[in-house]
Amino acid sequence: MILQTTRFGSVDVDEQRLIEFPAGLLGFSQARRFALLQPDERGVFFWLQSAENPDLAFVVTDPSLWSDEFAAPLRPEQSEEIGLADVADAQTFVIVNRRGGALTANMQGPLVISAVTRRGVQVVLAERRWSTRHELVRLEGAQVASA
Amino acid sequence: MLVLSRHIDESIMIGDDVELTIVDIRGDKVRIGINAPSSVAVHRKEVYEAIRTENEQAARFRGSIDGMPLPKARETPRATRGIRLTADQRPPRRESA
Repeated sequence: MILQTTRFGSVDVDEQRLIEFPAGLLGFSQARRFALLQPDERGVFFWLQSAENPDLAFVVTDPSLWSDEFAAPLRPEQSEEIGLADVADAQTFVIVNRRGGALTANMQGPLVISAVTRRGVQVVLAERRWSTRHELVRLEGAQVASA
Repeated sequence: MLVLSRHIDESIMIGDDVELTIVDIRGDKVRIGINAPSSVAVHRKEVYEAIRTENEQAARFRGSIDGMPLPKARETPRATRGIRLTADQRPPRRESA
């Protein structure tokens, strides 16, 4: 299927590879289906592009690349909701933002996706240790300027 | 909104299986005990609000993610694979927000 996107133009994606968030994301409950777009070889930052709203896309990254200690515990009902039978099938992403000369990640609201069912959920972590604006890395001058 | 008055150690039932108990009252702070099945998510409202706000702000991310700095201690790359964008589909490196 062809996705119309504001940022990337028309993108041809295999419908089987879309990721569904049955409950949507917080604040975006209407956007259920997304494509994970990979802009480069490095596979560190991805765009989570809405299949329904051309203008809606989030930058996401795998938190395990940035922290050894981060974990997103799921309640059994959440595992069931996304059809996650085996924790090894879970893929976690966090939404990235650019703020004050740094890249930050929303570690308090991670996205957990079953790689098997391709369904996901945005988890709310009760732990205060992880914030919605966890600094990942400082940006260099040119990268800040492009913000 | 339904408003009920309760003393310390008194409870309110919501449905058959959610019980709120007033544990303590000190000044303008109330401590509430919650008994609920694990299927019911219980969080402070401001946590939800913070995540919602951050989602909304992150949705306004503009420009390119090409050339963003990599993690310092990069482990073996995971087998995460997205749908590859071609060069002409990537947004320009410089774009005003």
